[in-house]
Amino acid sequence: MVPTNTNAETDAALQRLGRNFTRLLALIAIILVPLEFIAHRHGEIALEDIPLFPAIYGFLAFVFIVYAGRALRLLIMRREEYYDE
Amino acid sequence: MNSAGIAVQFSALPPGVVMILAAIAVPWIPHMARQAWMLAAIALSAWGLTTGAGEHFVWTALGYEFVLYRADALTFPFALIFHIAAALNVFYSAHDRKWTEHMPSLAYAGAAIAAVHAGDLVSLFFWWEATAVTSVFLILSAGTSRAQKAAMRYLLVQVASGVLLLAGAAVLAAEGAGIAFEAFDFNGPGAIGVWLVFLAFGIKAAFPFLNGWLQDAYPEATATGTVALSAFTTKLAIYALARGFPGTDMLIWIGAAMTALPVFFAVIENDLRRVLAFSLNNQLGFMVVAVGIGTPLAINGAVAHAFVHIIYKALLFMSMGAVLYRVGTVKASALGGLYRHMPFTMVCCIIGAMSISAFPLFSGFVAKSLTMSALGYSGIVWAYLVLLFASAGVLEHSGIKIPYFAFFAHGTAYDKKLFADGEAPVGMRIAMGIAALLCIGIGVFPAPLYSILPHAIDYSPYDASHVVGQMQLLVFAMLAFIGLIRFGLYPPEIPSTVLNSDWFYRRLAPRIGRPILAAIASVWTSFVTVLRGYRDALWDLVERVMHAPITGPTVPGRAVMVQTILLTVILAVGYLVAG
Repeated sequence: MVPTNTNAETDAALQRLGRNFTRLLALIAIILVPLEFIAHRHGEIALEDIPLFPAIYGFLAFVFIVYAGRALRLLIMRREEYYDE
Repeated sequence: MNSAGIAVQFSALPPGVVMILAAIAVPWIPHMARQAWMLAAIALSAWGLTTGAGEHFVWTALGYEFVLYRADALTFPFALIFHIAAALNVFYSAHDRKWTEHMPSLAYAGAAIAAVHAGDLVSLFFWWEATAVTSVFLILSAGTSRAQKAAMRYLLVQVASGVLLLAGAAVLAAEGAGIAFEAFDFNGPGAIGVWLVFLAFGIKAAFPFLNGWLQDAYPEATATGTVALSAFTTKLAIYALARGFPGTDMLIWIGAAMTALPVFFAVIENDLRRVLAFSLNNQLGFMVVAVGIGTPLAINGAVAHAFVHIIYKALLFMSMGAVLYRVGTVKASALGGLYRHMPFTMVCCIIGAMSISAFPLFSGFVAKSLTMSALGYSGIVWAYLVLLFASAGVLEHSGIKIPYFAFFAHGTAYDKKLFADGEAPVGMRIAMGIAALLCIGIGVFPAPLYSILPHAIDYSPYDASHVVGQMQLLVFAMLAFIGLIRFGLYPPEIPSTVLNSDWFYRRLAPRIGRPILAAIASVWTSFVTVLRGYRDALWDLVERVMHAPITGPTVPGRAVMVQTILLTVILAVGYLVAG
């Protein structure tokens, strides 16, 4: 038996948790920007030496993966019972 | 026999074999004592590793040298981590009172360890197949008809891999290249044999389009079975590639594709253990790329990655196994909010997730850095960018998706009875705790891991530049996730089947093959019908000749005549065929 109904109390707690986590992450992100220059970050390849390259690349790659995944659903997603028929 | 004599003989026994022998007794030992017995067998087998480097057991027969026990700097790290994984499984499965899974699990680990120590292709083939026939029981144990079908497909693919390996060995032997398991040469004698061996390894290493079995079968095994499966087969293949094909350029292409492609499948897959199977495939890609580069630093990267990967991947599968054990499902669409009910499992899962995502101070970071540095030094920029992209992908599916949808996402009203006994069983918690400690321990103190790698290196992953770069990649990718979730742009989890390369033999081949088989069958049937008609006509003729009213030759005379005609026909046919 798979439970599917949601629990409002947990939902509220999760939203608080989510907000706090987002704040923490944003803080780390803000700290990482000046660290870029303090640590004299350099990459394994020349392209990586562009300022904030990993940050930009990581962000864009993530968004691309999610959107490409969404698009891919049209092609390769089938009903759950697809192979059982 | 004196004790020294026994010691000498034991030291010649390939590690792992003692575990297979011990597995035979498992059904007759009561629960819990059985776990102690299995741990003892694993410890005894691990003690065998102290024999050290060298060829300890060579059997000469039929003019060939079968190297049953060869140990060196490449075998040791794999053998060590296989023993650790086997021991973790014993803890993790302690709640399971049935012997039906413990026995194959121990034998499977033993077979994989013995395979690592095989010094020739025939011995390797033997253990290669042994891992297949033992591990299939871990899938069958799930007991569902889905699992049974997946198990049979798994067995077919695994056995096919072994047959290709044996065929390759036969070609190499026939062409005079020998059966020794060393680095192969695509341009040397028996090139076809080399390709066959490469393909055999490629199937077990889950190369693109040869990977369907992995995502098909692993998630269908039991909660404990998948943990065992995740450790051995594919890493045995990585060992085999590192031994047989280091520095093969083609592997950089293949590995890069392996890191990138599963990422997209993992985003939309709903079964979280299947997401981990895609993730496993992606991780193998990093190791395959490293083997393809082939420099000492890169080979160290492949081995270190395999070592830490076995631990954190097992940890992730353990945490999902614990969820499956308690809740009865690992479908993302049906889970959420479990952090309140299973806090320990949640923490362990996040440690595994941070390790696989290669956060600094976690084990994935110290291993993956080796490969990325080696790739950077080799100057193959496109592959470097693909692997960097895949790193963001790892964060997406294993770093965020797994813990987020299982433990957070939204509050789900679970039946309180599910958690009446607390969260995961104590054995599961011990195994997860040890694995989590290893993930952090290796991440913080990488020196012991580096010291057992095949090549001596002077490498430090913890320079400020490296750490800042990695943190930027991960933190900004996580911010992208939060943004997508906040604005409702993240695709919802949908109960579904995601097609993978197993579609070719599960759907396409039957769809095309059945009509072709039906056509062949109907042609055959009509052919047989025509032949039957001729036969009947012939008999009718003989009948008529024999039973005609007696006015001509006597009955024996007619019989002789018929026989003469038949023999003449046979003679004529014989001449025609011979001519």
